[in-house]
Amino acid sequence: MTQLKLYSAIFVVLMALSTTQALVERTGFVDFDAPDTYWMAFGIILVLSFVKAVFVATYYMHLRWEPRSVTYLMLGGLFVALALTTAAAYSIL
Amino acid sequence: MSHGEADGHDAGGHDFPPMSSVKRWFITTNHKDIGILYTITALFFLVLGGVLALLMRVQLWGPGESILSAGAYNQAVSAHGLLMVFWFISPFAFGFANYIIPLQIGADDLAFPRLNAMSYWAYLFSGLLFIISFFQGGTFDGGWTMYAPLNVPTYMPNVGGTTVVLALIMFIAAVTMGSVNFLTTMYRMRAEGLRMRDLPMFSMSILLTVWMMLFAFAALLAALLILGAEHLLGVSYFTADGGTLLWTHLFWFFGHPEVYIVFFPALGIMAECFQTFTGHRIVGRKWFVLAMVLVALQSFVVWMHHMFLTGINLEIKTLFMVTTIGISLPFDLMVFSLIYTMIKGRIRFTTPFLFSLGALILFIIGGITGVFLGAVVLDYEFRGTYWVVAHFHYVMVGGATGLFAGIYYWFPKMTGRMYDEYLGKLHFGLYFVGFNLLYFPMFGAWETPRRVFDYALPLGTWHKVATVGGFLLGASFLVMFYNLFKSMAVGEEVGDNPWEYSTTAEWAVSSPPPLENFEGKPSYADGTLSFRDEPQLTADGSGDGGPGGSASTDGGIASGASETSSGHRSDGGLRTESATAGSGSALVTGPEAVTPTPTGTVAVHEEDEHADHASFWPFVVCFAGFLTFLGVSGIQNGGAYPWLAGTGGVLSAVGFVGLAREPFYVPEPTMAEQWPFAGVENMKLGMWMFLGSDVVLFGGFIGSYLFLRVANGWMHWHHAFIPEDHVVLPGLINTYLLLASSFAVVIALVAAHKNSSRGVVASLSLTWLLGVGFLVNKGLEWQHLFHVSTEAFPNGWNVGTNVASSTFYLTTGLHGAHVIVGLIMLMYMIPRAMKGAYLGDDETSIEYFGLYWHFVDIVWLFLFPLFYIL
Amino acid sequence: MVDSGGPVVGDTVLAGTSGIRAPAEVFNSIFVVFLGLGTLVGVVVISYTLYNAYKYRYREDEDPAPELERPELGELPESGGKGKKLFLSFGISALIVLSLVIWTYASLLYVEGAPTEAQQNGVDVLDIEVDGFRFGWQFTYPNGAQTSELRVPANRMVNLSVTSQDVFHNFGIPELRVKSDAIPGQTTNTWFVAEETGTYTANCYEICGEGHSGMDAKVHVMEPEAFQEWYANTEGETNGTHEGNESAGGEDHALSGPDEPAAPGALAPARAGGAP
Ligand code: HEM
Ligand SMILES: [Cu+2]
Ligand SMILES: [Cu+2]
Repeated sequence: MTQLKLYSAIFVVLMALSTTQALVERTGFVDFDAPDTYWMAFGIILVLSFVKAVFVATYYMHLRWEPRSVTYLMLGGLFVALALTTAAAYSIL
Repeated sequence: MSHGEADGHDAGGHDFPPMSSVKRWFITTNHKDIGILYTITALFFLVLGGVLALLMRVQLWGPGESILSAGAYNQAVSAHGLLMVFWFISPFAFGFANYIIPLQIGADDLAFPRLNAMSYWAYLFSGLLFIISFFQGGTFDGGWTMYAPLNVPTYMPNVGGTTVVLALIMFIAAVTMGSVNFLTTMYRMRAEGLRMRDLPMFSMSILLTVWMMLFAFAALLAALLILGAEHLLGVSYFTADGGTLLWTHLFWFFGHPEVYIVFFPALGIMAECFQTFTGHRIVGRKWFVLAMVLVALQSFVVWMHHMFLTGINLEIKTLFMVTTIGISLPFDLMVFSLIYTMIKGRIRFTTPFLFSLGALILFIIGGITGVFLGAVVLDYEFRGTYWVVAHFHYVMVGGATGLFAGIYYWFPKMTGRMYDEYLGKLHFGLYFVGFNLLYFPMFGAWETPRRVFDYALPLGTWHKVATVGGFLLGASFLVMFYNLFKSMAVGEEVGDNPWEYSTTAEWAVSSPPPLENFEGKPSYADGTLSFRDEPQLTADGSGDGGPGGSASTDGGIASGASETSSGHRSDGGLRTESATAGSGSALVTGPEAVTPTPTGTVAVHEEDEHADHASFWPFVVCFAGFLTFLGVSGIQNGGAYPWLAGTGGVLSAVGFVGLAREPFYVPEPTMAEQWPFAGVENMKLGMWMFLGSDVVLFGGFIGSYLFLRVANGWMHWHHAFIPEDHVVLPGLINTYLLLASSFAVVIALVAAHKNSSRGVVASLSLTWLLGVGFLVNKGLEWQHLFHVSTEAFPNGWNVGTNVASSTFYLTTGLHGAHVIVGLIMLMYMIPRAMKGAYLGDDETSIEYFGLYWHFVDIVWLFLFPLFYIL
Repeated sequence: MVDSGGPVVGDTVLAGTSGIRAPAEVFNSIFVVFLGLGTLVGVVVISYTLYNAYKYRYREDEDPAPELERPELGELPESGGKGKKLFLSFGISALIVLSLVIWTYASLLYVEGAPTEAQQNGVDVLDIEVDGFRFGWQFTYPNGAQTSELRVPANRMVNLSVTSQDVFHNFGIPELRVKSDAIPGQTTNTWFVAEETGTYTANCYEICGEGHSGMDAKVHVMEPEAFQEWYANTEGETNGTHEGNESAGGEDHALSGPDEPAAPGALAPARAGGAP
């Protein structure tokens, strides 16, 4: 039963964070002509996505209860993807 | 159901057809059989790629066109590269890996035998697709690097070009299945006492290879799916601003790890052969292994050294120059380690050692010339010339040289007979001389541009010598084929271990090994290999394996024709044999009982413990995939193509259902070294590994989007390419739907835990409905966007409208395809749940499905802001 | 660690009368050193390998190290030595490689920075746009003249802005050691100084379709006076056949930089990247 409560609580948090992301957009911060606020909003929104992803992976996918090496496996994949993305984008800046 | 059962029954371990039966080779899932299939198929592609190479060398005899037209030359160059790199080298290495790895680590088979068979058939059929492409208006002709935008239909309108892209996608499917399988096997099924660091060098090299494969090929898959969509759906990535560079990034991000993927298995074989034939343990083994690990990691951060002239900025060039030089250093160490291993050795110059030594020398030359390329100012001039051609042939074909060491090294294990040593040495002599005659002059002719047949006259002499060398190299293989064929029939029979000073476990079993590899459980618990009695086995007295003690399956009763003897061998050895022979004695105990089966033969019923080795479905599924891809390749041309695609689709469905319903028993080892994945069952680990590669696949897609957006001006993007109607709301709704569906899966798990069948059915159905809702919502949104009509987008915002629409539809489309796959799985699971499946301990299926579904959810959590908000 | 590079390798050889050390010379001098050292290292290492292979060949009656434990079937892997020597040789080779590369890095900075520096010092630079198309090259001079053969004066710095109208090409003149990728939608820069007058050939170094093998262009290096004479006659007119230059510049793209040929400070091959 406690499991269920935990899962439900996380579900509520996930929904709330998603709503927040959309709200940030509504505030008008995501303005393509105002780099300062734009990049701030960009940061906030992506951090929220990361937080949500970590919640899903940790609890719904039970990473928390698996050997740490499974987490490292996924971090490895993530690192590879990020290396490609950032270095490639940086190369033409 | 009954069909599946019958199938599983007579195909199972009981009367598995002998090696001489053609049927066996279509249904086998045994790793050794599949290893042999891989080896033979790879050699076939070697011949094909080799013939193309010789055609080119003839053309290069003098400058200008001779036997090949300009178009044919480009096709030959491209097909040669693709076939050799993809369809020959790695599969050849994986022939050995399949055969040898389970033996070396003490496993009965790979973790997922049917997946292994699927991997092979996907590989074979992808190769057949490639061959067919030659006859579809010409094959792909843009070089093996497939640079954009030459690779898009505007410049490559022939169907064959599309077919090659699809063939590569199918090939990657094979690779990914293989990687997941090997990783799971090596982490979860090692003999007791065999720690990861104790893996034999060949196993170690394959371990690192499959790690690199898992991630690198996912990046290539991203590139090829995009390219496939350019061909079939009309998206425009590679013709957009920055698209050309995007391809080079994606390709080389895969391409550099690929060169180590190609080379590592050879390195492993070289290390094994050096140790065995020098009779001296590898010097600094620990450092050797560490160096390999370092290289494997670093291989993902050097790719831009292939792009020094593309106009990337100086900072990044400097960084990648540093990492490139960095990666050459660990190789130094490995080379010296091998050299020092010879000191104080007792070196026997057998054929495998000669090939290993040759590979080392070639690699030294290749490495030195690679350092030239790593110096950016020099690379500025070498780029696109024969210097590069010479360099990478020295390293890559140098690697292949190591693999030929492998085929001689393990030939006696795989066939039970020795090859002809004289012919082996002759092969090596011709090969080594031919190799150097072929590739060394290319350094002399380095000013020749790559992939041309028209070069400056003074370079002609070099090219003539190279052509002579090429034919010599080709001829050397005739010797090899003759030798191996002949020896298979008349070679001297060998015992378990023909090589003094070999250490690894494959030499402790008979040649060839019995179907289930070991009699008794291999264990290193007391420091050396021993075979423990398996409790069930004690009764028939075969538990006394041990090194050298297991040759009894060989010859034995069937000392006559080798055919029969191999039949018996492959029949599971002593158990069946003795069970049939003397069923009266105390052979059969416990739950086993001798009963006649409907087919009339006597078989032992031991469903709960006897592994299955045969399934026809992998072949069916991959053949269906082949038909589908072939149909899709020319679907825009109509004719027979749509029919092929349709037939393939239906057959795939049949195949997958057959696969899912077939009872196929694979025991998980009861006692095995499983660090660091103890407690994560094979299936679950396999699923995680697969998701790991999927992260990179989506990473490739998201990375492509970000890259193109940077290239087109980050802020500019929105104003220029995206219609007003593209709003946040549909994305937000879909986020809610997916999150809720994830929650529903978790609830299903809780319900299963509580043994509530109704709870399971209800929550899985809810998941399904939410998933369908997601797709419907997406469909509505897309419909709307397709038909917007504004000043900026008078004809709607379609897949091909601009770069932003292309990235949007394709990336979210790939995600949508993942959702659809999940829904299909649910459609299989829900009816079963209604019949009461998945309760209690059976909940694992829901858990594995959940892993997949949550992952798809997570991907959406990033797509939502990136494509709807920012 | 290294400054802009000129002095490190640049002092000894100065190119002809231009006073600019040409990339060809940078390449040639570095190439020679690499060839020398590479051959040396290769010969030493391979000979040492073969020597050991021979020395420790199997002999029935003689075990070079009777006390040594030989590998045995079924053992867990062990190292065959501590690898002290291993690290020594590794260290030496690492040192060679590292110093070579650091040394060449200085030249890289020189090659990348020279056009900017030259311009700042008021050196006369000739800017030419190179456009690849399937299957040929088109050259556009500052006065707008377009040709399908490249004509340049000897001993003058020539700065090429290379791009493509269709697919990925690569423009290179092997004898002059000049090379640059020609990428659609984007410009890359390279430069050279030709010392000897004469006729050379430019090739395409990236496969681009059926005509790739024949995608050449003649390169005439002329006496400066002869060049001036020829150049004066081209004034304004176009004698190339191909309609050039529809590069989609103008907007705030990170790629496809602005079209004016000689934006100061953006002459390194990375000019395409510009500032965002
Ligand atoms: C000492 C270590 C090595 C260094 C420093 C090195 C460096 C390089 C560089 C800089 C290039 C790009 C050349 C160009 O296109 O301008 C290159 C190309 C290449 N290298 Fe290496 N390399 C090394 C080892 C290897 C190994 C071990 C392999 C494969 C087993 C390999 C395979 C290749 C291939 C296939 C290409 C050409 C790809 C193509 O353009 O088709 N290299 N190498
Ligand atoms: Cu590379
Ligand atoms: Cu070209």
